[in-house]
Order: sequence, then structure tokens, then C-alpha cells
Amino acid sequence: MTLAISEFLARAELDEATLEVWVTEGWLIPDQGSGAFGEGDLARARLIKDLMKDLGVNAEGVDIILHLVDQIHSLRGALHAASRAHEGE
Amino acid sequence: MKDPYDILGVSRSASADDIRKAYRKLAKQSHPDLNPGDKDAESRFKEASAAYDLLSDSEKRRRFDAGEIDEQGAERQREHYYRDFAGGANADPRYYTASGFADFGDADDVLAELFARAGRRRRGGDLHFRLRVNFLDAVNGGKERVTLPDGRTVDITIPPGAEEGQVLRLRGQGEAAPQQGEAGDALIELSVAAHPLFERRGHDIVLELPITLAEAVAGAKVKTPTVHGAVMLAVPKNSSSGAVLRLRGKGVRRSDGSFGDQLVKLKLVLPPTPDAELEAFANSWSGRADYQPRKDWP
Repeated sequence: MTLAISEFLARAELDEATLEVWVTEGWLIPDQGSGAFGEGDLARARLIKDLMKDLGVNAEGVDIILHLVDQIHSLRGALHAASRAHEGE
Repeated sequence: MKDPYDILGVSRSASADDIRKAYRKLAKQSHPDLNPGDKDAESRFKEASAAYDLLSDSEKRRRFDAGEIDEQGAERQREHYYRDFAGGANADPRYYTASGFADFGDADDVLAELFARAGRRRRGGDLHFRLRVNFLDAVNGGKERVTLPDGRTVDITIPPGAEEGQVLRLRGQGEAAPQQGEAGDALIELSVAAHPLFERRGHDIVLELPITLAEAVAGAKVKTPTVHGAVMLAVPKNSSSGAVLRLRGKGVRRSDGSFGDQLVKLKLVLPPTPDAELEAFANSWSGRADYQPRKDWP
């Protein structure tokens, strides 16, 4: 499900310039077809805000944390798929 | 809700800096997105965030300390965390990276196999084919050049000892990945054609060897085919039909490099039509007391 950009900015409490920076950094990646963002991106934007605002992480730190978070989720996905494949045998 | 000072583990006289430090420490351990496998994280994080919202705002903190407001209603509303969207079956491939475990696929162990299967979701689809191979190629291994339905030609190496129904995997010969992932695999299921002489039983080969009356009675060296080429088999004197001789190591190669055996079952064959001379000879033979083939019958 995709969100209109205005809705995305409003719900993420973001301004357009910040969003542009985050996309340039690769922290948020719009859908390759529609160029839009979805609920998952919104939750990701909130995570970035938590990191920068409440947890005092700077941009370099956010970059590293997101990379590690992506690795953890990819790994978790692989483990889930592997355990399902294993059960299905 | 508990007392916000207790939740953050700070004293009532704590400085704003102490409160921030205490909160960051708790948030690190309880933020659902930084602890994606911790089911209880969310409630702990909500509690800590609510306490922090109250105590990090000096005006709210003053009013709370003065008893003008209580700790209720301070919880942040939050429908979802990022972890709810990531890592599951519907995870967005945009943020997928195998860089945390790609090396597992190189190793030759159980985990590699599991990860290879798990990773296949994001790779191109696997294509399934059947290939009929002749009996001796399956036993001894061989090469087969096949043309896939999409026109590509691939050389398939059939491993020695290949079995009926065995699936060979040609890595990267399947469908291309939807995005930048690896292509899928071509999976080739083998079907082994029957052989006119040999029959396979696990790693042993069974062969029925027809012999003449003279060979059965007097014994003989008989040229006997095996899957590895013909050998001279010593048929012992006085061999009955149905006796089984074992040719060690003339069977199918096992995965450990050893070989099964060939079992040769003798079959005494008389001339195709009745023979007067042979009949007269058999009748003239007086037989002997212990020649009673059915004596053990009940």
C-alpha cells in the first residue's frame, strides 16, 4: 500500500527537505515502480527520528545502525524461511 | 503506570542530563526496532518513553513533582514499529541485504544448505526438468548435453551412482531474478532407463547368467558382463540353477568411493528342443541316495 507524499510527510512529521536528504543517504528508498512510500517506510522514518532525536545518534551513526538493522532483518527473514523450509520437509 | 522516576531508575533530584542518559540506556535495550526478536520490548519501551516524555519536559516535570498532574495519559501513540514490516515473508526487498550472512552460502554445511534455500525466495525461480539417462551412464557417471526449453544448451554431469529420481542442481541456470538477485537454479530430475541384462538393487547389480548343463555340472570359466566391463567368472562344479555368485566391487560406486557388488544368479538352461541323447543319458544315470532336491519339504 502506498501513501501520498503529503500524507507520508504529515504522519512522519517530516519536512520535504529532510526527506530528500534521507532518500539521498539511502535511508529511505522509494518504490522503484511508483516512486512512492508505504507504511513500512513510515515506520522506518519513525525509527530514524527516534535515533536522531531521543537517542542522540548523529547522521553517521544512523547510517551504520540502519545498515545493521537491515542486515538483522534480512538474516531473520532468511532464518524464518529456513526454519519453515526445514519444517516442510 | 509506575512512578516515572522508578521506571527510569533515577532519583527525584536527577538532572536533565541524568534523565536523558537513563532513558537512552533503557531505549537501547527496549526499542522494538533495535531488539526485533524481543516480544516484550514494545511494552518496556512504551513505559520508558512515557516516563521520559514527562520528565524531559521541565514544565511537565515541575507539575508532576507538585502533584498537579499524574503519570497517566502520557503514553505515546504508535501503531507500528519498523520491525513489523521487515524481515517477514512480505518484507520489502528494497532494504534487503545478504551482507550479514552471504558467506554462509559458501560453506558446505547444514547452515549453508538452509540459507541457500532461504535465499532462494529472492532469487529467480527454479526451473524443473526431467532427463532420461541410460542405465550405464547412471551407474558409471557421464556427460549429457541437453537443450533446455528456452533454447539454451547445457552440459550436465551425471555423477557415478546416480539414482532414479535423483535431482541435479545447475546453479544459476534457472529463471533470472526479478530484481538484482541471483538467477534461480535448473533442477534436473533423473529417470534411469532399464537395462536388458542388469538390474540395480541399491549399490549392487543383479545379473541372471544362463549356463549350459555341462557348465553347471563340470564348472567353467564363463565370460560375464559387469557394468565395468566383462570378467571371467568361475562357475563352480555342480552349480544348481538359482545359485548366486558374488563379484565383489563390481557394483555401483557409493558416495564414500567404495563400490557395491555384482550378484550373479545362475540359470541352468537346457537345449531349446528335447534332445534324445541327453534324455537317454539322464535316464541311464543311476542317481544317488542324497540326490533328493525336495527332501526338506514339509
